[in-house]
Amino acid sequence: MLDAERLAILTESAKYDVSCSSSGSKRANVKGGLGNASVGGICHSFTPDGRCISLLKILMSNDCQYDCEYCPNRRSADVKRASVTPDEICELVINFYKRNYIEGLFLSSAVFTSPNRTMELLTDTVIKLRKIYNFNGYIHLKGIPHADDALIMRAAKFVDRMSFNIELPSEKSLKLLAPQKTRESLILPMKKLSTALTYDKENKVRRGGVIPAGQTTQMIIGASPESDGQILRLTEALYRKMGLKRVYYSSYIPVVESPKLPTVGAGLLREHRLYQADWLIRFYGFDVSEIVGEGENLSPDYDPKCAWAMRNMHLFPVEINTAPLEMLLRVPGIGARGAQRILSARRFCALDFDNLAKMRIILKRAKHFITCKGKFYGSESGNAVKAALMLEGIKETREQLSMFSCSSVALSALSGEI
Amino acid sequence: MTYYLVDGSEDCFYTAVFDAYKNKDCIITSERDVQLGLGFEVFDVVTDENKAERVRAKINALDRGAAEDISLLLKSNASLKENVAFEYIKLIISNGGAVRAMQANPTVIEMTQIRTRVYGEAHKLKGFLRFMENADGVMYAPYSPDNDITDILAVHFAARFNGRPFVIHDIKRKIAAMYDGNEIVMTYAGDAEIYLSEYEDYFQNLWKQYYNSVNIASRPHEKQMRGYMPVRYWKFLPEKR
Ligand code: SF4
Repeated sequence: MLDAERLAILTESAKYDVSCSSSGSKRANVKGGLGNASVGGICHSFTPDGRCISLLKILMSNDCQYDCEYCPNRRSADVKRASVTPDEICELVINFYKRNYIEGLFLSSAVFTSPNRTMELLTDTVIKLRKIYNFNGYIHLKGIPHADDALIMRAAKFVDRMSFNIELPSEKSLKLLAPQKTRESLILPMKKLSTALTYDKENKVRRGGVIPAGQTTQMIIGASPESDGQILRLTEALYRKMGLKRVYYSSYIPVVESPKLPTVGAGLLREHRLYQADWLIRFYGFDVSEIVGEGENLSPDYDPKCAWAMRNMHLFPVEINTAPLEMLLRVPGIGARGAQRILSARRFCALDFDNLAKMRIILKRAKHFITCKGKFYGSESGNAVKAALMLEGIKETREQLSMFSCSSVALSALSGEI
Repeated sequence: MTYYLVDGSEDCFYTAVFDAYKNKDCIITSERDVQLGLGFEVFDVVTDENKAERVRAKINALDRGAAEDISLLLKSNASLKENVAFEYIKLIISNGGAVRAMQANPTVIEMTQIRTRVYGEAHKLKGFLRFMENADGVMYAPYSPDNDITDILAVHFAARFNGRPFVIHDIKRKIAAMYDGNEIVMTYAGDAEIYLSEYEDYFQNLWKQYYNSVNIASRPHEKQMRGYMPVRYWKFLPEKR
């Protein structure tokens, strides 16, 4: 049986993968089986760093053949090595799941022996869990770069989600910091999976389809010199061309000393702004070119929606009772849900300022950009608006910082509603 | 002013709605310790399935989703929840259809808020409920929720644990949902004596180990942890005890 020491070694290093979401799948249970998946995802606990625990995140092994500069498990590092067997993982998952500690498994591994051997063992584990242990809960499997396509596609049939981490936002940085991983070894399998997903969707494949919860990826922010503008252009392409479900940003934490790496972390504010911009691209109909220039960074002072609105003051104020949804969504202080609420409420009566206050619209911000029945309540002068928004923004940013680290919660609570 | 006192069940509430509907000056409540003033009258409602059924049929005909709204409202620990539900029904009837979208109407706002709180707690506890395995392999989960959500949770876990028996025990309300692997039965349950399986400690310890090793200690954010996982739930969480 698995002992506490190996569990510690193999989970310590898996924790830096930020994705902990268990959402997006509605896998059903079968008679006598254990588990199902909940579309919205469920958080089972929160750690003192404020992040949610939804999945058991564990490495099959931390004994790596690769030498990624930033990774505590790289070949040249002097750390304790450990590994577990497929059965040990299965038993742990079943017993944690039965006690309702977890929503499922996030299985990953260092590259031990060869990429194919590693991918094979990971695949064996998830198949065992599904077929022998009859487990129907959520499984997120990390793909191993350079493994054969056939192995990857086989695994994809048994899990809910897969991810290949892009790691660094440009090929140049990848070469420098993760020399054994190539852009192709990450992007090609993502493309394969994306094609398979499209095929399943177009042919309405229900049973035996691949990864119902789609694929995600992760980038390390601040270990390399790319600007926010570059990062978000990559993000937009991943969403729009490859249909990714989520792109995660992990602000660099110096756990390893190296002349090739910065000595200070990137800080949470930058990560936070990236998530806000990401949200605008996914849910608010923004193109990245409206948010930030290619070589530029996002403003630390305002959230990206406020920043956009202030650059486009000529489009405001908009009348709450007549503005179309696309425009309501662009008003700072009105979130996606707020906009829906306004749309439905105004069918019954014309809304005034008081109505909005009761509908959880952030008026301190929104008032500079709207009229209610023709009346304006904000500041006329552009500078006064800027000052007010900045004060408000600083307070709010402080409260929200790092709220995003868990996506299940993030979906509802997070920075998205800006 | 008339107080229609109900016993907390849905049928009794719907009976009260039937009786009180024409009465302009009244409230429906399940709170036994209301302060009565001069000119107040108390009416103890006795459940009448026939009346309850007629009210249900009327509401269902106007808005198919309303029964679920009301069912959630009645599970709430909010005082005056029955009265909010009553006002909500009156609004549906006077409007002749669903009113959920009237997001600027005070009754709808109040209904939505209470509903969200109940639903929100049920969702949270789908994650925070903890089962222990007893010597016979039955999973047992004691807890103490704000709202009366045991039956919602039981349905959720019966789908997951298909065929494996469990008990969810609300120790504050002294009720339990028992699932024998086939169907769920709600029952009264006082104190329970549990003989745990020999593996229980082993897995609880591994879980605590896991909880400690996934935390990123260099980024403390306790306030947020408490925000998402309120302290009042901690006494049932092995990792927080
Ligand atoms: S492949 Fe790179 S990042 Fe992954 S475990 Fe090995 S060294 Fe670390």
